[in-house]
Amino acid sequence: MASFARRALWTLPLASGLARAEPTAAPPTASPEEDGQWTMPAKDYANTRFSGLDEINRDNVRNLQPVFTVASGTMVGQESAPIVVGDTLYFVTPYPNILFAVDLNAPAGRVKWRYNPSPASSAQGAACCEAVNRGPTYADGVIYYNTIDTHTVAVDARTGELRWKVKLGEYSRGETMTMAPLVVRDKVFVGNSGAEFGARGWITALNTRDGSIAWRAYSTGPDSDVRIDGSFNPFYPQYRGRDLGVTQWPADAWRTGGGTVWGWISYDPDQDLIFYGTSNPSPWNHEMRPGDNHWTNGIFARNPDTGMARWFYQFSPHDLWDHSAVNENIVLDIDWEGARRKVVIRPERNGYIYVIDRTSGEVLAADPFVYINATSGVDLRTGRLQEVPEMTPTTGSVMRNVCPNAPGAKDWSPSAFGKDTGLLYIPHNNLCMDWEPTDTSYIAGTPYIGVEPRFFPGPGGNGGGFFAWDPVARRKVWERTERWPVWSGAAATAGGLVFYGDLEGWFKAVDSRTGEELWRFQTGSGIIGQPTTWRGPDGRQHVAIMSGIGGWIGSMVSHQLDPRDPTAAKGWGNMMGALRDITQPGGTLHVFALPR
Amino acid sequence: MWWRALLLSASFMLAAAVLVHYRKDREYATGEAAQAMPVQGIVMSGIIAGGGQTTPRRNPYSDDGYDLGEGRRLYRAYNCNGCHANGGGGIGPALMDERWIYGAEPENIFAAIMEGRPNGMPSFRNRIPEAQAWQIVAYVRSLSGLVSTTAAPGRADQIRGTTPPGMTTRQEPVPSGPPQQP
Amino acid sequence: MRRATAVALPFLLAACSRNPSVLLDSAGPHAAATGQLFWIFLYVCAAVWALVLLLLGFAMTRRAAVIDAVTPPSDTERRLTRWVACGAGATVLVLTGFVAASYATDRHLIGIESGRHLEIEVTGRQWWWELRYRDATPSNWFVTANELHLPVGRPVRLVMRSGDVIHSVWIPNLAGKRDIIPGRANEMVIQADEAGTWHGRCAEFCGLQHAFMQLTVVAQPEAEFAQWLEAQRRPGAEPATDEQRHGQQVFQQGPCAICHTIRGPDAGSRSPTAPDLTHLASRASIGAGAAPNVRGYLGGWILDPHGIKPGVLMPRIQLPADDFQALLAYLESLR
Repeated sequence: MASFARRALWTLPLASGLARAEPTAAPPTASPEEDGQWTMPAKDYANTRFSGLDEINRDNVRNLQPVFTVASGTMVGQESAPIVVGDTLYFVTPYPNILFAVDLNAPAGRVKWRYNPSPASSAQGAACCEAVNRGPTYADGVIYYNTIDTHTVAVDARTGELRWKVKLGEYSRGETMTMAPLVVRDKVFVGNSGAEFGARGWITALNTRDGSIAWRAYSTGPDSDVRIDGSFNPFYPQYRGRDLGVTQWPADAWRTGGGTVWGWISYDPDQDLIFYGTSNPSPWNHEMRPGDNHWTNGIFARNPDTGMARWFYQFSPHDLWDHSAVNENIVLDIDWEGARRKVVIRPERNGYIYVIDRTSGEVLAADPFVYINATSGVDLRTGRLQEVPEMTPTTGSVMRNVCPNAPGAKDWSPSAFGKDTGLLYIPHNNLCMDWEPTDTSYIAGTPYIGVEPRFFPGPGGNGGGFFAWDPVARRKVWERTERWPVWSGAAATAGGLVFYGDLEGWFKAVDSRTGEELWRFQTGSGIIGQPTTWRGPDGRQHVAIMSGIGGWIGSMVSHQLDPRDPTAAKGWGNMMGALRDITQPGGTLHVFALPR
Repeated sequence: MWWRALLLSASFMLAAAVLVHYRKDREYATGEAAQAMPVQGIVMSGIIAGGGQTTPRRNPYSDDGYDLGEGRRLYRAYNCNGCHANGGGGIGPALMDERWIYGAEPENIFAAIMEGRPNGMPSFRNRIPEAQAWQIVAYVRSLSGLVSTTAAPGRADQIRGTTPPGMTTRQEPVPSGPPQQP
Repeated sequence: MRRATAVALPFLLAACSRNPSVLLDSAGPHAAATGQLFWIFLYVCAAVWALVLLLLGFAMTRRAAVIDAVTPPSDTERRLTRWVACGAGATVLVLTGFVAASYATDRHLIGIESGRHLEIEVTGRQWWWELRYRDATPSNWFVTANELHLPVGRPVRLVMRSGDVIHSVWIPNLAGKRDIIPGRANEMVIQADEAGTWHGRCAEFCGLQHAFMQLTVVAQPEAEFAQWLEAQRRPGAEPATDEQRHGQQVFQQGPCAICHTIRGPDAGSRSPTAPDLTHLASRASIGAGAAPNVRGYLGGWILDPHGIKPGVLMPRIQLPADDFQALLAYLESLR
């Protein structure tokens, strides 16, 4: 296959003993050889979102055409990854979180069964950014996913029968669940959402057998709750000390302190560690929570069996701008200043791409990838983000032109790693904002935010874009600008392609080496989902994407919010009103393949 | 001259009429009348089994600048703005447009605040006094220009940048049906 | 005689009042320095005034010389010019002296203000004061209201903000006024050199109850103050009796908790809308000095705050009798 040929070309000089750097690669244990399936939203433990299939490639992608569609029956943000196990495709709708099983055998597109967990409709009112769902995950014959009213369900992948269903939180206290679980051995890891409601964040390991709780680690509070003990060995001194999750908060504020776990979890089998990010502290108004607010806005490495923390790093201590640090941590091995290092790479909301040693938590590099004026860099000696002192907002006055804005340089929408190119493909925003902190009250079940924001495009006037990043050379290889922020995930393939979608509903394939657009298709509604690609039972490679505008950014369209109020949708009202004329609510699965 | 006398007396009469009509003794201790009223649920339909007597309750606070101002303060104090922003909406629907899922009458909005709504609006029953709820109702209606412009505030502060209620053109309410859900 | 008594009585009684809120009854270095400046101004101005009156009297009683009003003799004119020049010179001298004295006082005050201090955020709200005590350890920060405790003999930096409109802090016995402008943090350093209780006021019209927006200032010896800090940092007292437990439930599930905070494990609310009640029973008054903090007034305040402080933003709260009594019992337990 072509990809093997390319890889051989790479490895040949190395084998012959020449002074040739080894390419950046995902460890094979975390990212096994291609099997034609896509069984978890991030594709593999390493979160590469890379498929080794190359039937669809840069030469023939222009012929790509739709094979079938499935209506989800819902009309708000579709963030679910369509995952494929054998001959069945699975996806989860936003509220009411119906799990679809779609038969891929001819005639493809028949819905085999649906599972409806019947979540409480009131829970939608506790979802900050629509009652979305980022997808199901598969392990050992069972599909696991979360519901908006804080249940985790396990459904038999073949029959659609419920195996177990457990309640993990209280939506009446602002907790919801939107993230996609990850399964390691006999544990399924799930986390809550709700930092905009003062929910206290946690990650929970459930036993796959019966859904019983194996352990739960909070993101705030005393060390016993955070699961920190003698084995905790962070790289930087500011994370060492007793009960920092209590002392770095005003009295009792950690109880409503956020740090929810609604993003991606990755896993390194070699070290037996899971990595995940914790969200912003609550409320957004930083003056109400002096201190570094441990352990919010950081990354934890934990033992999956015991839940005990190994190391931690905080991207945005004492968060000023809702820079919720839940983005994907891509597990890679990389040549770094003459040595081979085990790292995770994290394109972070605050505008820096971090390269972090995944054995210790040391930050090797933090390079800006958008225009930033709120911070001046990351001090690699102390690991601390360097804030610009004049850019400290105060209650009751407006801080103008803060870049990047609250959704950040890149929100949850996951990037992909090209195993063939060694590049990262990153969807991103180019946004700035005005930000006015206000007084706010914690009233259980209502938002706990305390900021009036107003978003607008950053320098250049475009809302976002998509770029390829070389993690070794630490620079952009190519970049595409887009009118709107790119809120869809990315998927890369051995065929030299990267797939992503835009908010106008165009699903695109671009050349992974140059960024040149090779194919596009209008799906009818804005795309905020995650593309996947896999081999169908007929042996052909397919590409799938959910289309359906919504989420935080798209609620202007899906809920027909009023753009005359610039603070609508917590700031998007100021710039997303025009999108209402371009796209419309939707909720459809689209599947593409080459013609026979 | 006779026309001067006429003009003078006419202006006096006009002033007197204005005083009689618009002068209101302000009751800062927000209305005993509303406070004392127990709420037994709100009737949203005119069809009542047994023909029960239902006079829709009128908002006692809709035409007073003080109450609108208090409504605005409470709208923020009770986190209404967390979901509905400054009328443009977010987690909850927009309040400044013409679409009303559950009705635009004061009693409909009052019921939404007190009883909640099934798609996420929480109930504030027993949490906020009725008089304050009515003040919030008045403010909410002012966002789409449904209150007297003589009472609505003429400016909007700071970042918000929305048209102040006093300058909002009236958005004629349109019942919009239930939110789009399967 | 009776009339004279009636006129004198208020003045005499005013002298009896304990800790009258006047700048001259200084309790700290700031007020002392400013008071000193006041006395300098007063004495000098009094001397000038007496001199002017003396000269005026002299002029009035002096036998007038016969002068030609149309063309005054040149020596008279010269004499007049000399007088005016002397007067102008003396005025410039006195004013320069005043400027120098003011400058020296300011420098003295700035000298007191430099250095590290205890920092307290004072937020003016309609019509009460929110006080947030800062500390190097964030978990030691806490919020209280209307009763500003200070350690004796230590400068305290007040960081002043507004939650709504313009206010102004004035604690006459300790320092001059300082305005609070919305959206800005203004600062002032105060120091109390003796233990005692004084009253501060809002000195910028801020609405209906501007006149009754009292800031009680309690200066305590260091040890006592440390004890108070320690007590305030603790969460609200756990209810000890069934009635108090019921009261806590009423507080957390009823209308109180939506605006007031009582810190603790079951905190249902954390709100800057109304005064923090975590240690309500430790305070001497309620409603920013509107009434003494005793059960009767507290009950009356909950039922009808407008009877005590018309226009206050707290609404009337109607509760069933047993809920009401339980709530009072709980609030009284919050030492």
